[in-house]
Amino acid sequence: MREVAVIGGGMTLFRRRLLETGKELSYLATKMAMEEAGIEKQDIDMVVLGSAPDAFDGIHIKGDNLVDGCAAAGKPYVRVFNGGGTGVFAPIAGWWHVASGVADVALVVCEEKMGSCYPHPQTAFRHIWDPILDRPLNPNLVWLFAMEMNRYMTAHDIKKEDIALVAVKNKRNAVGHPCAQLADPNITVEDVLNSEMMAWPVQRLDISPPSDGASALIYCSKDKARQFTDEPVWVAGTGWTIDSTMWTNRDLYFPQYVANAAKMAYKMAGISNPFKEIDIAEPYDPFDYKELHHMEGLLLCDKGQAPILTREGVTQRDGDLPVCPSGGLLGVGNPIAATMGQKVCELYWQLTGKAGKRQVPGDPRVGVGQAWGDIMQMGTVIVLRK
Amino acid sequence: MTFLEKQSDPTSFMHWRGDMQADYLYTNGVAGNRFFAHLKKKDTFLASRCPQCKKVFMPPRMFCEDCFCDIPDKAWIEVPARGTVRVWTVATINAHGKKLKEPKVIALIDIDKTDSAMLGIIKTKNPDKDLFGQKVKAVLRPKKKREGTLKDILYFE
Ligand SMILES: [Zn+2]
Repeated sequence: MREVAVIGGGMTLFRRRLLETGKELSYLATKMAMEEAGIEKQDIDMVVLGSAPDAFDGIHIKGDNLVDGCAAAGKPYVRVFNGGGTGVFAPIAGWWHVASGVADVALVVCEEKMGSCYPHPQTAFRHIWDPILDRPLNPNLVWLFAMEMNRYMTAHDIKKEDIALVAVKNKRNAVGHPCAQLADPNITVEDVLNSEMMAWPVQRLDISPPSDGASALIYCSKDKARQFTDEPVWVAGTGWTIDSTMWTNRDLYFPQYVANAAKMAYKMAGISNPFKEIDIAEPYDPFDYKELHHMEGLLLCDKGQAPILTREGVTQRDGDLPVCPSGGLLGVGNPIAATMGQKVCELYWQLTGKAGKRQVPGDPRVGVGQAWGDIMQMGTVIVLRK
Repeated sequence: MTFLEKQSDPTSFMHWRGDMQADYLYTNGVAGNRFFAHLKKKDTFLASRCPQCKKVFMPPRMFCEDCFCDIPDKAWIEVPARGTVRVWTVATINAHGKKLKEPKVIALIDIDKTDSAMLGIIKTKNPDKDLFGQKVKAVLRPKKKREGTLKDILYFE
């Protein structure tokens, strides 16, 4: 396999509903990444699109609709998706293109326009279940996460206050993010604990919002990297795993599928002690407890220890292991696939010192990003290193 | 082996009946908003011209997909709401296989002064006529009834 460098990233505003069409959002993110990388459309060999179910944008085969905005017309192009896992899976698929030698320069675009699904994208989530075994009960995703959160809290005797610290940290971290939808410099644990109860123990401020947005990332082969940059960031490892749809038969307090994906990525990257060797982590945080759950799945700490690290300040931007310095999904927003912006582009910006007000101090060199999706079954992991 | 059986009774299996209902609100987009705001008030179309390759897009776009550059506001132009039929077809049955009361003529129309074509319905008393190269103009809703959607273009004739 060839070594693959990241040479540019781009990201649009994330908002509940944007005027721009999906194509226009894709164009804006792609253009920004191309400008950062210093390349033109003709320099791009192949394009990968990540976008979650068609039901959000309301256009069947939406990957084909978005082509014009992805600088892909006339080029080899493929769309990949695995629900919430897409934001990290699409950049993994982009990496294949260059690592395998079929492309020297590959563009990855991730787009989601959830605002089209009206009045609320939850209506699209009604159709992700098994029609025979789940749907007759009219299940709702929040029920599922409420049970997983409850199980995690019960298994390790975790207090809600400690979980709420994650929402507070991420919404405050997002204050420095120019794309952020829900940044709040003054939010407190009390605000989270006093927010509307949705399904015990999940409350309004434990959840990230639905959003419109797009992000883009540009890769290039090692031979060409020096043409574009003096400080390339490398893809050191990738991993992905899916578990059975029989989520009912899992323990629910430990995401084994994330751990499997992490082990795959760490093996490729030669990482044996993730907590010591990783400088920044961007675990998927659509809910505050998921950041903790995923830190444990990423083997950054022992089972049940993530809330303790959080309480001790280890995961703050200036802590020993900054977690979600971007502001995450909780602070920046959650246009499903487009969260590649926080989970992968952010690592690139942090490792190249381009993260502005969000910059993690101390010259970080290794970052891990992760996403999670389908019906609590998909784990996708990427490790970047400079 | 060929399946000759045309339709079996699906309800003869044990089953669950579901739907995939979801409703949508599609935003016009940056270019679309400007195009439709114009169409609500005027009897012409707005198009946008790429500053690099000079290609004229109708309906207009905020970017050129070939040059991958912005098309700034000042590069937008007004063009007449008419064009030339490039190719057409005549539909005689509907999606359920029923014969239409009147045949429906559908055409790809190259819009004058642009490098773009649009799909349009052609109203003609003579659907069997050869329409290649026929000059047609858009018939719009009365101004008071326009709502700023593609439906404001009733048909071409
Ligand atoms: Zn052009």
